Amino acid sequence: MSQALRDRAAIVGIGASSFGRHLPESQLALAATAFRAALDDAGLERGDVDGLSIHIGWPLGVDYDQVAQAFGLEIGFVNQAWTHGRFVTGSLQTAAMAVACGMARVVACVNVLSFTRERDILGGPHDFEGYRETGGTHAETPHYGLTAPAGGAALAMQRYMALYGTSSAELAAVPVSLRAHARLNPHAVMRAPMSVADHQASRMVVDPLRLFDCCIVSDGAAVVLVTTAERARDLRQRPVLVAGMQGMAAGRNEFIFAPPGLGINQQGAARPPAPAARDLAVYRAADIPRDAIQGLYTYDAFSPLVLFVLERFGFCAPGEAAAFVQEGSISPGGALPLNTSGGLLSEAHVAGWNSLCEMVRQLRNDAGPRQIADARALQWATVWGDSVILRN
Amino acid sequence: MSAYDKPTPRINPDNAPFWESAHEGALRLPRCGDCRAWHWPPGPVCPACFSDRIGWEETEGRGTVSAWTVVHKDWFPAFKADIPYAVAQIELVEGVRLTASIVDCPAEALRVGLPVEAVFDRVTETLTLPRFRPRRSG
Repeated sequence: MSQALRDRAAIVGIGASSFGRHLPESQLALAATAFRAALDDAGLERGDVDGLSIHIGWPLGVDYDQVAQAFGLEIGFVNQAWTHGRFVTGSLQTAAMAVACGMARVVACVNVLSFTRERDILGGPHDFEGYRETGGTHAETPHYGLTAPAGGAALAMQRYMALYGTSSAELAAVPVSLRAHARLNPHAVMRAPMSVADHQASRMVVDPLRLFDCCIVSDGAAVVLVTTAERARDLRQRPVLVAGMQGMAAGRNEFIFAPPGLGINQQGAARPPAPAARDLAVYRAADIPRDAIQGLYTYDAFSPLVLFVLERFGFCAPGEAAAFVQEGSISPGGALPLNTSGGLLSEAHVAGWNSLCEMVRQLRNDAGPRQIADARALQWATVWGDSVILRN
Repeated sequence: MSAYDKPTPRINPDNAPFWESAHEGALRLPRCGDCRAWHWPPGPVCPACFSDRIGWEETEGRGTVSAWTVVHKDWFPAFKADIPYAVAQIELVEGVRLTASIVDCPAEALRVGLPVEAVFDRVTETLTLPRFRPRRSG
């Protein structure tokens, strides 16, 4: 990643629907609520939006053409990924690239997930994602009964535990920390207190993952509006700049739910002692070093992914993330607060866009009791290796 | 044979030899005719050297568990009666890793590094699933 896009694009509006389970509204209705809120937030009109970047379409979410038709938009730029969580970062990055290179003036990232309406798409008979000819993208192997994304995270965590001696009770620090954040967020779906004992008492789902290691199955929408940094200066909110970006990793040594070298699928089984330079490109792109990052935001569909992303980006050495999170490091007021609105584990599963909206609130100094003091640089990063650093 | 209501693998031109050999009671995997590297999953070219001289050769059918899990949730109705059941990644002695179920092994005996060997489970007239059990031979 070059520095050509440093500080060229900005997030100027965020909006969300309510988050919950079994919401009665259609996906389009949830998206409309979030879209209207984002326009109001930015001080933009519907007619200002001329681009769409859609992360998750039918059947969980909405397709670009549905959105354009239903909301009466005049669109001249579209990016839509296939319905999969891994494309959250690329969807935002494509929006930033589109405005920076002049292909669109304002791109709306429109994200809605109605998981409770489409319940058995996750590991059930309608999970066609898992039916790929060479196995699903999270190691799903339906003919052996490994049918859900959680299975891949479970395999990776079981191997991690064998390598480093980590226990389930130590892993509990991840969901317990995120619940502590969610308790400060009135919009979070899960706000009851959670202790390590509660985690240990929750039912085993796919060993070693217990219920509280798995994200919420929820419904909700979030919209993020992206335009150029230049245009952002004239809008209603303090601009949040896209400082640097790093793309997704793929190859023989990659597995979506494990850091390089853990030995899942055909990955090599030797962990590199530190990330390769190309896996840290985002810091150079942003000209912001890792130790200046004040909060980390990630796709926490399963609690092991939090440990893995801490190690993938070098916040912790291989095998040391579990010890790191024991100390309250990712909790409110910790050394590296993580997913401060509660993440997919406790706020809602809006595919990470709920966390991206939280980053914007933090960088506007608008996060209320969750505010990271003097937040200036926050990082979105995933275990599959892509990242965006936002700054104000 | 009673109706088999579990999902069956998608068989395509690249992976068909695997399922044909399993039905004959052998574990054959793709191997490069040029650089001799084994690879998985099956594909039209060698991922190591990009040769398209891919042959299928019989493996020893032995390896070790490199990662495992036990499924406790009935995501899929057809598997409900089997819960809890074990699925693992097996690192074959040839070096590649397969995902398959583990049989004849109590859950408390599952561990990374467990030596295992292939067994062949004929589930329909046309389909045999390789599974693995703790190694009984050498």
